[in-house]
Amino acid sequence: MKDYLPILIVFIFVLGFAVTNIVLSHVIGRRKDTRAKLMPYECGMDPVGSAHQRFSVKFYLVAMLFILFDIEAIFLLPWAVVFRSLITTLSRSFVFIEMMAFIAVLFVGYVYVWKKGLFEWTRG
Amino acid sequence: MQLDTLNLNYWAIAPELIVSLVAVVLMLMDAFSRKGGRQANAFVALIGLIAAFVAVVRLGGLAAGGYFGGMVVIDPTRLFFAAIILIVAILAVLLAGQFLGDEGLPPGEFFSLLLFATSGMLLLTAAGDLVTVFLGLEIASITTYILAGYRRYDVRANESSLKYFLLGSFSTAFMLYGMALTYGATGTTNIEGIRQAIASESINFPALLLLGAAMMLVGFGFKIASAPFHLWTPDVYEGAPTLVTGFMGTGPKVAVFAAFIRVFIGGFDVPIAGVGLQLHNGWIHAVAVISVITMTVGNIVAISQKNIKRLLAYSSIAHAGYALVGFVTGDFAPVAFYLLAYSIVSVGAFGVIQLLARAGDQKTMIDDYAGIGFEAPALTFPLAIFLLSLAGIPSTAGFIGKFYVFKSAWVTTPSLRYLVVAAVINSIISIYYYLYPIVVIFFRPLAPGFVRPRMQKATALAIILTIIGTFYLGLLPNRLLKSMEKGQPARITANQPGTK
Repeated sequence: MKDYLPILIVFIFVLGFAVTNIVLSHVIGRRKDTRAKLMPYECGMDPVGSAHQRFSVKFYLVAMLFILFDIEAIFLLPWAVVFRSLITTLSRSFVFIEMMAFIAVLFVGYVYVWKKGLFEWTRG
Repeated sequence: MQLDTLNLNYWAIAPELIVSLVAVVLMLMDAFSRKGGRQANAFVALIGLIAAFVAVVRLGGLAAGGYFGGMVVIDPTRLFFAAIILIVAILAVLLAGQFLGDEGLPPGEFFSLLLFATSGMLLLTAAGDLVTVFLGLEIASITTYILAGYRRYDVRANESSLKYFLLGSFSTAFMLYGMALTYGATGTTNIEGIRQAIASESINFPALLLLGAAMMLVGFGFKIASAPFHLWTPDVYEGAPTLVTGFMGTGPKVAVFAAFIRVFIGGFDVPIAGVGLQLHNGWIHAVAVISVITMTVGNIVAISQKNIKRLLAYSSIAHAGYALVGFVTGDFAPVAFYLLAYSIVSVGAFGVIQLLARAGDQKTMIDDYAGIGFEAPALTFPLAIFLLSLAGIPSTAGFIGKFYVFKSAWVTTPSLRYLVVAAVINSIISIYYYLYPIVVIFFRPLAPGFVRPRMQKATALAIILTIIGTFYLGLLPNRLLKSMEKGQPARITANQPGTK
């Protein structure tokens, strides 16, 4: 059970962080309630009414891009964690270059979507 | 984990690397140039594919065996199938210039997607591990889903793309589940490892292995459009732009056949005793039955088709059935030769129809082509040759392909000769519907409103190349057949690293 103690600590920390923030902003913050602000938060959608409504295709693109670059982090983090132990058996430059190649591929994708204007929200 | 045991050698994946790098370059060219130059894009794509072809030929100089920890293998199966795929891709690029111009479609992404698809297919032919099979399959599939819907504002193309996507994902799920079960049964995803596990009878749950193999059979069956799983094919092939239909009816199919051979003949074909024998008998008979159903359904339904693209779609189903006959021989050569003959002819036929159908696929009914035989001989004569080759008329590639497959199956497996009988009967049936368009084109009064299509140089070159290929394989196949037989692989030796 001792091994799980860090997880418990993280859990408590996260809970404390969230609660503190909400309570603090409630106590310190100046409030100016409007109708829209008092509605339940539904990611920018109207919480009442039909769920079958059309919304911009850009949401999908954003979601897709988010997943792509999220995956990058999923690969990068373990790589960074095991880097030291990897270079005891593999050559340092090999381990480094392999990941840089991966990032380069993602970077090309980033440049592509940028040039294609995917980050210009307001345009057409 | 040592680098030496992984056997990393970047030359072993040089074709895949070249093709994907060129695809990335094309992607960036498209992003940075104001208005994409069709010619420039096609030229870069062509250079890349030819370089990849050279790289494939040079792969023969490397030691056969597994690389990257058995993820990728080099063996004759890979070399021949990769060569077929690159030939198809080169022909598609040659035809694409005119296709994109006539349709007024943006060129950049088209070539980029085409090359990404090609890299996935090449990876599929090289796969020595179920993981690589899956990876290659997905790269090839996802890009072709998009290509199928490349005519964005066309409802039929959208339908085609969406249908292909949904059913393709569905079949992928089958495939993946089968792989997981096989892994559970054998404890490895390496195809050679699976073979060894079966041979040494160290299977955890025999039923899992059989179920896994069955599900993978379904997955592969979907992708090659074999009979109980063929229903998506006609709609998808009809709706997609004709050139894309020609590409996806050949390239991905050839690649999936390569992986199919790898996994089933290379991994699951261990007729020694116990589970191995059970599995062998199971899949051989399943494939035999699928093969008979596939060619029969394809041919019978093709007879009643009025649309030339649907006719060729059903014909491609039937051809998948013929190619499956080659599986019972336990050798890749008949299947590879058959698919080479089929692919060249099929791309050629779709290339001609692309021109005859005009932008937006306005004229795809067979009756639209009535009497145009001598109005546009540069198109109709090649089309007639391709249809005759598909029917298997002697002196064309189709005949030698069929002959080789049927003869090999007849000689090697006397117990499955009914397959060959069924295939021959089906070939005879098929002659009817292949001759029908020829009759309409040459012997009917001219249909009103026929405009003779212009042909660009690259298109003409592609059609000439396919005709040369058709007759070369049909009249002088010996050299290729010999080199294929010389390259008979004993077995894939994925776990033995090749010596450098």
